[in-house]
Amino acid sequence: MVKFTIDNIPVEAQKGETILEVARRYGIYIPTMCYISKTNPCASCRICSVEVEGVDGFVLSCNTPPTEGINVTTNSQKLEEERTNIMKLYDVNHPLECGVCDKSGECDLQNKTLEFGIARQSFSAKDQFREVKHWNLIDYDPSLCILCEKCVHVCNEVIGDDAIEIKVGGYKSTIVPKDADTLDCTFCGECIAVCPVGALVSSNFKYSANAWELKRIPATCAHCSAGCPLEYEVRHSGIDGDQKIYRVKNNFEFSNLCGAGRFGFDFDAKALPHQKIAQKAVDALQKADAIEFSSIITNEEALILQKIKEKLGLKLVNEDARLFKNFMESFASASGKRLYEADLEEVKKSDAIIVFGTQIATDNPGVRYAITTASKQNGAKVSYFHPIEDALLQNVVTQFVKMEAGTEEGVAALMAKELLKDSKLPKELQEYFESLDEGYLEAESNVGEEEFAQMSVFFKRAKNKTLIAGADLFAHPRAKNIAKLLGFIQRYSDYKVLIVPKEVNTLGVSLLCELDEPVEDGYIVGYNTKGDYTISSFDESANLVVPALNQQEGTVTSIDKRVLPTNVALAFDGVCLNDIANLLGIEKRYTIDYTKELGRANEAFADVEFDTLENFLGRLGEDIRGYKLKNSDVSVNFSIEEVEELPEFNGVVVYHADPVLQFNAYTAKTAQLPKENTLRGSKQFAIAAKIENGEKIVLDLGDMKIERVFELDEDLKGTVAINPTFDVEMKPNRYRFEKSKIERVQS
Amino acid sequence: MSKQEMFKDRNISEDYFFLDIEDYPTTPWEKFKRVVKRSLKGELFVGLWVVLREMIKFDIHTVQYPEEKLPIGPRYRAVHEMKRLWESGTERCIGCGLCEKICISKCIRIETRYDENQRKEVGEYSINLGRCIYCGYCAEVCPELAITHGGEYENASEQREHFILYEDMLTPIDDVLNKKQREFQGFGAITPHEDERLKKTPLAY
Repeated sequence: MVKFTIDNIPVEAQKGETILEVARRYGIYIPTMCYISKTNPCASCRICSVEVEGVDGFVLSCNTPPTEGINVTTNSQKLEEERTNIMKLYDVNHPLECGVCDKSGECDLQNKTLEFGIARQSFSAKDQFREVKHWNLIDYDPSLCILCEKCVHVCNEVIGDDAIEIKVGGYKSTIVPKDADTLDCTFCGECIAVCPVGALVSSNFKYSANAWELKRIPATCAHCSAGCPLEYEVRHSGIDGDQKIYRVKNNFEFSNLCGAGRFGFDFDAKALPHQKIAQKAVDALQKADAIEFSSIITNEEALILQKIKEKLGLKLVNEDARLFKNFMESFASASGKRLYEADLEEVKKSDAIIVFGTQIATDNPGVRYAITTASKQNGAKVSYFHPIEDALLQNVVTQFVKMEAGTEEGVAALMAKELLKDSKLPKELQEYFESLDEGYLEAESNVGEEEFAQMSVFFKRAKNKTLIAGADLFAHPRAKNIAKLLGFIQRYSDYKVLIVPKEVNTLGVSLLCELDEPVEDGYIVGYNTKGDYTISSFDESANLVVPALNQQEGTVTSIDKRVLPTNVALAFDGVCLNDIANLLGIEKRYTIDYTKELGRANEAFADVEFDTLENFLGRLGEDIRGYKLKNSDVSVNFSIEEVEELPEFNGVVVYHADPVLQFNAYTAKTAQLPKENTLRGSKQFAIAAKIENGEKIVLDLGDMKIERVFELDEDLKGTVAINPTFDVEMKPNRYRFEKSKIERVQS
Repeated sequence: MSKQEMFKDRNISEDYFFLDIEDYPTTPWEKFKRVVKRSLKGELFVGLWVVLREMIKFDIHTVQYPEEKLPIGPRYRAVHEMKRLWESGTERCIGCGLCEKICISKCIRIETRYDENQRKEVGEYSINLGRCIYCGYCAEVCPELAITHGGEYENASEQREHFILYEDMLTPIDDVLNKKQREFQGFGAITPHEDERLKKTPLAY
């Protein structure tokens, strides 16, 4: 704790805080141009200069930690002059096109120019031709750029794409794609968000609306379980005045958004007249044996489905949530806690991270950004256990451990033994680990002592350790045992475990619904998935169309174990699940009337009215959205099964994983997101499968066949190809690695 | 007088006097008497005589609309005019959307896009004149003097669609080229001595 004063106000700084951070915490204003809270200070603008008593010249408040007893002045005649001069230099030759500029109205340069009262451009430099660059979803206008470097820092330190850099050349300096002619990145668009001027803009949004015309709807992203906060910006479109989402923005100061969240917003559903008849859905439900549904729904919808189940006595089938629920139950029976311990904030703070059983960069970009932040800002070491190397995390992963597909159980056992070797374990576990046939497991899984020895060297000094486990494990035949091993790791080691749910509300559905085993035959009503009678918000050919997640109020449960509210961005003309429930005699006026009943359905939830839930980040980045689930104690069961014989995956093996920016049928529907649905494999795979680049093939998975084009990916190694799933409806109870046959399509 | 009484006292002037108004008739007989009294006073014939006299004089001051029209004031707010730039004839509107935002009867709709010349292009611009209340806010907020109120007040039509034609509001290109475009002389207009007031930017190197 350091005590000092700012403008004669006594303040206290915590360890590692800078003068600027302390001032902001106390609500003292220091102007900044290039500062952004989630990265290390760029220190390029020098507007945040302050005076410190007894120190000659100015001190940069953004990157200077205070020392005991100093007196800081944030405003004086000299500082004002200094800052005004900096602003004058920023304004040199800045195009006077505020009237048409996209940023006008929310532009930092505009605001600060007015704040410092700069009425005219008093300096000039010989202007030069600067070409507007079109980088796919992003447009860059160098003449508007003020070179604050925010975009470069965010891209490098938080996102991890490291795709842009500053080309230094005095007045000619610009932002350029790193080592490439055009921008080749994951198109998260975070550079657009942080750009204080109109230099980096979304090419789709460009010049189509102005900041002051758009209405901001706070919501939660509908694409993955990270539950990122975002704002849909809506305005009427055309003369008829239909509302349309123009763009998505986020609180870039503290939170991140991936490209799917930012550019994939136009997934709203439209119902044709014959798709609005609720009575037909009621009839279908009454004769149905089961409702099969996906986890891309709100908590309230899940609760309504549960009530329909109770009322009509049918079965609820959702394999994604059921497998997750089983996994979490086994996990809880070992860890003693109902939920996992870690969250994204915890990951950001970690200095040692293990990733296991997931291709995390595409499965959950939110976790990816948290890992990148930890790596770049705390120097966190990352060990990544997977059969396929994650190209997007290459710069972040310290140790990639290539394991064999299907051997997760063996690796989990070895990992648990390693991580728990210094912990005091109960007798059962000690015996269990002693009796492990390590030689066999190491030989089959390809993960051995060496790797773990290396890992412990990397993690030697680490204090905050996190283990991230993901979707590969849920559908694994031995999922229960893997979950138990992870549970023991959380219970007996200093590792905090984060289990990454697959869909936006897998966690919520798994808590709220009593789920049944899949039904072999019988009449099935599909809710957001295909059935004999389909009720869906993605499928245009559905029998009944219901609102999509950007058209309804409700809450979703995120990876952070938070219940997050989301709001209506676009109106929906048709019926929703609540209307059907009302016809069935489960009466509530609005869907959100169920929000306060969530706590009665599962004690992890709270009995809170929807309208009292907040949806914003605080001034200092505090997460005030929704509420946190209660994590309660459960009884521990020490029994654990022996590791079974590890399966071998030989021949043609594919891994079901979506490409960047694609998650589900919502993202597949959007206009801007790329829809690359090729089967990607390495040269080695191509030789093994006897196919060539660009060849049309049919992927035979036994019970289903998928037509794909094969794409040779130079970045990939090994014999496993990646098969996207966003464009095909694939049962979530399939283990993500599959042996398959590949047939060429004769043209 | 207390403050409250002073506040409530409506008798602000010494010159106040009360009109000598008869009480209203209440019985049917009194009502009948009043009708007879008023009808037989002869005032009716005074009115008729004035009309007859003026008719015979043939000295009529009535404006013969629509053959004749009175000039209207320069600040009269009638149907909008969309102006063009004097130099190039291109439309002045930059599509900032402020008129749409400020419009209190929500009758302006505007759509913009990124055009092939990398400029902001106004794709659709419409004012629903059937709904417009001619308040003039749009003209006042326009940063480019692109939209002003003109003097065209005859906008009756059989069809509502006719109230929305942008082409009717846009100054014809020939008018600009022939220097016939009328500049708005109201708030925000270019003053006559604007040239002298201009300061050079340092771009003249």
